[in-house]
Amino acid sequence: MKSTREAAMKAILEMAEQDSRIVVVSPDSMLAARAVPFKERFPERFVEVGIAEQDAVDIAAGLAATGMVPIVITYAGFLTMRACEMIRTFIAYPGLNVKLIGLNAGMLGGEREGVTHQFYEDVGILRSIAGVKILAPADGAQVYHAAKEMIKQEGPVYLRLASGREPVVYEEEEPFTYGRLRELKRYGTDAVIFASGYIMDRALEAAGQLHKEGIETILADVSTIKPIDREGVVRLLQETGGRAVTVEDHNIYGGLGSTVCEVACEESPAKVIRLGLKDQYARSGAAKELLDAYGLSVEDIVNAVKRVRES
Amino acid sequence: MTDKELMRMANRLRLDVVETVHTAGDGHPGPCMSVADLIAVLYFDEMKIDPANPGWQERDRFILSKGHACPILYAALARRGYFEPEELKKLRSLEGMLQGHPDMQKTPGIDSVSGSLGNGVAIGLGMALGLRMQKVESYVYVAVGDGEMDEGVVWEAAMAAPQQKAGNLIVFGDCNNEQSGGRCTELTSLYPVADKWESFHWHVQTIDGHDIGQIKEAIRRAKGVKDCPSFIEMKTIKGKNIPYMEDNNAWHKKTPTAEEVEIARRALEGRI
Repeated sequence: MKSTREAAMKAILEMAEQDSRIVVVSPDSMLAARAVPFKERFPERFVEVGIAEQDAVDIAAGLAATGMVPIVITYAGFLTMRACEMIRTFIAYPGLNVKLIGLNAGMLGGEREGVTHQFYEDVGILRSIAGVKILAPADGAQVYHAAKEMIKQEGPVYLRLASGREPVVYEEEEPFTYGRLRELKRYGTDAVIFASGYIMDRALEAAGQLHKEGIETILADVSTIKPIDREGVVRLLQETGGRAVTVEDHNIYGGLGSTVCEVACEESPAKVIRLGLKDQYARSGAAKELLDAYGLSVEDIVNAVKRVRES
Repeated sequence: MTDKELMRMANRLRLDVVETVHTAGDGHPGPCMSVADLIAVLYFDEMKIDPANPGWQERDRFILSKGHACPILYAALARRGYFEPEELKKLRSLEGMLQGHPDMQKTPGIDSVSGSLGNGVAIGLGMALGLRMQKVESYVYVAVGDGEMDEGVVWEAAMAAPQQKAGNLIVFGDCNNEQSGGRCTELTSLYPVADKWESFHWHVQTIDGHDIGQIKEAIRRAKGVKDCPSFIEMKTIKGKNIPYMEDNNAWHKKTPTAEEVEIARRALEGRI
């Protein structure tokens, strides 16, 4: 299953067959969300509101207040920034059972569209809102399982998707481990790489390359960013002598890097190098070239591990 | 209840507000008075509700989108039996459950969080759709302030509701032509209001929001329209029936003194 967007919709469709409470709310995102099959199968449970994200989130709050399980799907930034207050005050504060799916998250999501359609702030924004769980799976197969987990979890959950053209790293049947990080590779304990999202293939390649050079790392997929697996993070920091690199397609402020640093500071002080967008805006470009140009190349990860190891 | 009894109840709730805000030392009394008659009609006559079972799925819903007017809603809930009237004395305090703005989790009888302005129509639309999906034949009522209609999300919802044929959604515009900073018509005016809603294809009526009979009749007509949401423009007066508050925007947010509570009590004497 290659496309994260199709994977999410496949999971939603399957869950909706069993659960008549599931509703899809679309602020003109039906095509982007690959939701045409949902609309055709469940026309009475598909709510199109037009290009109006704030309205979509408020409507979802109302639907949830009557017992439905609405899923709002649209571009990550329009959802988490334009409708941020609606998420916070009308969904998270009363703890309503609304699911949020953000498309085009990261540079990988927006790529050629440019900065207006690339969103590297969504995790940071939502992480500061009490009561919102944040899932950032690594590929289409994981998204499929994560979307089902999202619906099973009670209360507000955000699922981070990108363009739909993300590299495959997992076997299809590999389950999504909610609330626990997963060791994707364990070459040794020279350093730990905490990675999240659709740059996992790069982190994997970097870990493999380092291994060939005799530098043995643990690669951990942190697919649940909130609540963070504190115990898992601390364990890996301690095993590796407190040498860590974080990798994410997000601003280095607010996302996985910040989360790991917070845990490290409080529980197991460590040297952490954060890779991600360094508090700047990217630009239009092909996905792979963009990641290379903005500090997320395999070489960047390799070099960061070498630097942290020397510290 | 008869119209006269409802009129008296509205005044009873108004006096409750003056006393409650006085005791709390904080709150928005003026904006309560313009919706008092509507709240009395809804909670003591019109709405299908059961105070013993606030979460009853078949109930009608109400959203006070202009959430800062919640003391009047709290007074109605207390007198309707959702909680003890004593609770009103703990408004806005750590010991109480009555928040500065409505909280659906802390207060029985509150159907939605509100207070961040402009969101009630959209949330109400979501409820209306959710009830329809579950084949629950109940109504969703929303009270929105005229000042609040400055917010864009009001019009996003105004656009979406007729498209969804949300005939079970009835929105009241509390049009007192005042908002925090002054007269709506002098800030960024949406007046005339009714024609805006008409142009968004709502079923629109304009009434005197202090006339119990007109409120009842407007609701009856709105319910007769099955495939279209209704907007009822209520022409109202901020601070209505409290002499020193009437059309005096200084009372948007202000605490009445003990003497002012007494003046209000005397003014309403014989009308409660």
